[in-house]
Amino acid sequence: MTAHTDPPNHTPVQGDDEQLPCGRLLFEVWDAWERQAADPHLRSCPHCRQAVHGLDQLESAVRGLREDAADASAYDAEPLTRRVMDVVRLELRPGRPLPLGEPDEDLWIMEAVAARSLRAAAETVEGVRAGSCRLIDVAADADPDSGAVTVRLDIHAPAGAVLPHLADRVRERVRQAADRELGMVVAAVDIRVTDLVDTSADGQEGRTS
Amino acid sequence: MAGARTQSAPPDAGDDTDDTLLAIRAAEGDEDAFSVLVRRHAPALIRLATRLLGSRAEAEDAVQDAFLSAWRSLPEFHGRASFGTWMYRIVTNRCLNVLRARKPVAPLETVGDLPAAEHATSPVRITEARDAVRELREALDLLSAEQRACWVLRELDGRSYEFVADAVGISQEAVRARVFRARRCLTQALGAWR
Amino acid sequence: MTAHTTRTAHTPRTAHTTLVEDVARAAESAEGVAFLTPGLAARLRSAVSRPEPGTGGADPAGVRMTRPDGTGVWHVEIHVVALRRARAVDVARAARESVERRLTALFPEQPAPRVTVTVTGVV
Repeated sequence: MTAHTDPPNHTPVQGDDEQLPCGRLLFEVWDAWERQAADPHLRSCPHCRQAVHGLDQLESAVRGLREDAADASAYDAEPLTRRVMDVVRLELRPGRPLPLGEPDEDLWIMEAVAARSLRAAAETVEGVRAGSCRLIDVAADADPDSGAVTVRLDIHAPAGAVLPHLADRVRERVRQAADRELGMVVAAVDIRVTDLVDTSADGQEGRTS
Repeated sequence: MAGARTQSAPPDAGDDTDDTLLAIRAAEGDEDAFSVLVRRHAPALIRLATRLLGSRAEAEDAVQDAFLSAWRSLPEFHGRASFGTWMYRIVTNRCLNVLRARKPVAPLETVGDLPAAEHATSPVRITEARDAVRELREALDLLSAEQRACWVLRELDGRSYEFVADAVGISQEAVRARVFRARRCLTQALGAWR
Repeated sequence: MTAHTTRTAHTPRTAHTTLVEDVARAAESAEGVAFLTPGLAARLRSAVSRPEPGTGGADPAGVRMTRPDGTGVWHVEIHVVALRRARAVDVARAARESVERRLTALFPEQPAPRVTVTVTGVV
């Protein structure tokens, strides 16, 4: 961050008051303060010290303001969440309808609803977290008589797991749930491991800020 | 910024699931996953919006709008940033629009006339930290929308210039210039400088 | 335009509303149905890529009844939210059978209706 060495094009503010009596630009002085640059002049020059002192005073007021706003940490998010979700539920994105039961039954389930069940089923395998779950209606795309759906599921797997075995178990749970909870004929379950998760961290990693 | 997951969520909603997975699920239409994200990020975003706007009520509106806008654009989100950073950006922009739409409180030329300069060196004033905070709060209204946003993100929220530039959608140079102008305006208003 | 002299071939508006409500009750009473999807037209806007089932405005209660080809065969579309403990396909079948039974009882001489059931949620 040495942009202040070449100010002409970037001089942030025009005007006479930009230049301190010692010849330094206020912008430079404050920039040096912010970078905690070691510049003997800044310590010795009374004009620069005064300019920095002004900023220090502002800083102490800022600290007060920051502490003042800290009460938001106790913010109750429930009413806001409820208001947001009330609107969200009027604008759902349920995806495409997918066939339930036999091919010609004309019974359907929306993709997002089925995906939620299948993700939950995958997560019954220890340490597995489910992400993307797409359901592709094979019948609609190719074979009109199959009435079967292909599941493409992304998971985060525990770091120590033997992945082929893990994938088999997840596949089995997903098939079971598709049959027992939904009644959907599933042609294939494709599992993709998109991340390995250190289980000792107890699912907290990846929490972003 | 995250971490405030205090309230109960619907079953199977993934209350202990990380943001990335929840955002993917929400993008695929899982509104329960989205509600977990809302609950988790609302406190930090409310704090941000309150700092930007200086009003809790307006902050709530801005954050609510930002979440709805996020729900609508999640299918195009593709996890380019973390969900938290993405929301931070949306809230910042929403607040910027609110600030731009505000009637100017006072023309900037009058800044110099605000608090008396004699206060600057008075020892009494230093002990009156509460007054300084109040004055600072009022002085924030003197800033332009962009100055205020850049200054709040940099100074109150402690973000890097790079982060602020990304959140506000302008160059780092422009952020530096705005933060500088804001500081000058605020030090003047507090009588701390000139 | 309306052939009001014929029995039930052309149902006046109010009678249609009554019929839809009747069918909705039949669907709602089926085992495993939590409730019918409220405001299905709005909620499924641009989401359904299935062939358009003919004309006719959507009813707010999660039931849409049309006779698209003029043969007198009812096409009934039902959107339900199922109970979590129930198997989705069983809920959909129960809703379909309940609606078919009701329509057959109301119009014994008419051809069997075509009933489409979509599970739009689970609670």
